[in-house]
Amino acid sequence: MKGFTLAFVLGFLSCPGFAQNSPLSSEEIKAILRHGPWPAPWSPDPSNRGSGKAAAIELGERLFFEPRLSPSGKVLCATCHAPFRAWQDARPRALGLAEAERNTLSVLNVRYGRWFGWDGAGDSLWAQSIRPILDAREMGGSLAQAAALVRNDADLACRFEKAFGALPRGDAGVVAAIGKALAAFQETLVTGRTPFDDFRDALERADAEALKAYPEPALRGLRLFAGKGNCSLCHAGPAFTNGEFHDTGVPFFVAGGGVDAGRHAGIRKLLANEFNLLGRHSDDPGGRSAVRTRHVAPEHRNFGEFKVPGLRNVALTAPYMHNGSLATLADVVRHYSELSVDRLHSDGEVLLLRPLRLAAQEATDLVAFLESLTEKKSALAAPRPATPCAR
Amino acid sequence: MEERRDALRQHAAAAALIGALAAPGAAAACELPPGKRLESAQLSLSYRTTPARIAVGEHFVLELAVCPKQGKVAERIRLDAHMPEHRHGMNYRPSVKALGEGRYSSEGWLFHMAGRWEFVFEIGGERLADSVRVE
Repeated sequence: MKGFTLAFVLGFLSCPGFAQNSPLSSEEIKAILRHGPWPAPWSPDPSNRGSGKAAAIELGERLFFEPRLSPSGKVLCATCHAPFRAWQDARPRALGLAEAERNTLSVLNVRYGRWFGWDGAGDSLWAQSIRPILDAREMGGSLAQAAALVRNDADLACRFEKAFGALPRGDAGVVAAIGKALAAFQETLVTGRTPFDDFRDALERADAEALKAYPEPALRGLRLFAGKGNCSLCHAGPAFTNGEFHDTGVPFFVAGGGVDAGRHAGIRKLLANEFNLLGRHSDDPGGRSAVRTRHVAPEHRNFGEFKVPGLRNVALTAPYMHNGSLATLADVVRHYSELSVDRLHSDGEVLLLRPLRLAAQEATDLVAFLESLTEKKSALAAPRPATPCAR
Repeated sequence: MEERRDALRQHAAAAALIGALAAPGAAAACELPPGKRLESAQLSLSYRTTPARIAVGEHFVLELAVCPKQGKVAERIRLDAHMPEHRHGMNYRPSVKALGEGRYSSEGWLFHMAGRWEFVFEIGGERLADSVRVE
């Protein structure tokens, strides 16, 4: 019954204004529905005892905007993850104390991730949140300095104890909890509903009137995205990412003649990191959350692979790709349209990634679809807790 | 730290190839539990996943039972999966734990793309495969 109604609705939806004015096929409908509903379900991270807890979220929010986490006093998490810039920095490559090699990923929707960072060197959001504190080019801190900040600041120490109990003796234990508080805060940063979500849900409930509100160019672009473009294969699911890594033909040479090995190096860093999910700082030792870490291993083909970023609010997060080398969404679409398969080093990627050879109108439509994944509410930081911590 | 890396390497090696510790039962007494059944000249097997419906990007566990048609359970077993049309495999190396009596439990499975995946079961000299479509 529902199928019949849907067919009617989709027939009604097609109109002469569409470049592809045939009704959506059942395959297309299934593909579109898989990108929702939004927000997607989420459950707290079992490796982080502060995940989803108000006290840890409050501490994390303070630390996210805390310049003293860097010994310079000049770099904070929000330097690169600025709320008013969709929680990234709008630069090609991150700039903390010095310029890094990669583009800053937005932390919006980061709670849905399985691996963190372009190379997936973090297997939890809390481990990933520690990395920039210690990176000389970003915040330039140390375990001792970050732990001392919390120990010696009465308000931070009070909030720490409320969130995690007594301050551990070791610096690493304090910093692990700092990472967990930062993660708990970032887990609250989720994009709102977009025109695409309204269309997707209208499609699910076969609401002809609501379907008409979605702009025609965006719908044509959506059909390309899920159909001919094959974009949904990697940009899958409600967050528009499969959470894994691919070589998409973006150069991985870096300034000074070096090479960014991407996922290959990321796995090695992950396994060497004392804060990974196999280590003593996880609150879920040996548990389900560590399955991914126990079973990942570097393969030759991982060289030059980078994470598939989610696409929600993608129109607000230029420039693009792991090295920030593409300035606009139109440039990204052109990259995939004119892709050089000779550049790809894996048989599998060659089969998946072929130049799309899009017509000008098709490229414009694809951009229109990507723009329909935009909302701006998430750029507004929630009011920070103003009252001092009381023991 | 080096110890942890060594442990991981050993674990990964065990995941790819293990010696079956199960005491081989007589072929006539071997019964397969419910699951998808596959047959070769030398053996029958059944497997099932938990959860039963494999979702893109979600880890799952695979349980396997093997019955030899004659003789003993093979000593070497290797489990894997790939996408034939894409010519790539998984990004993970599943581990295999022998439970005895030709039963195995394997974790670490994750299919990261929608489409047709092929499970490959290499048991002794036998190779059995089965396709599943994941959406």
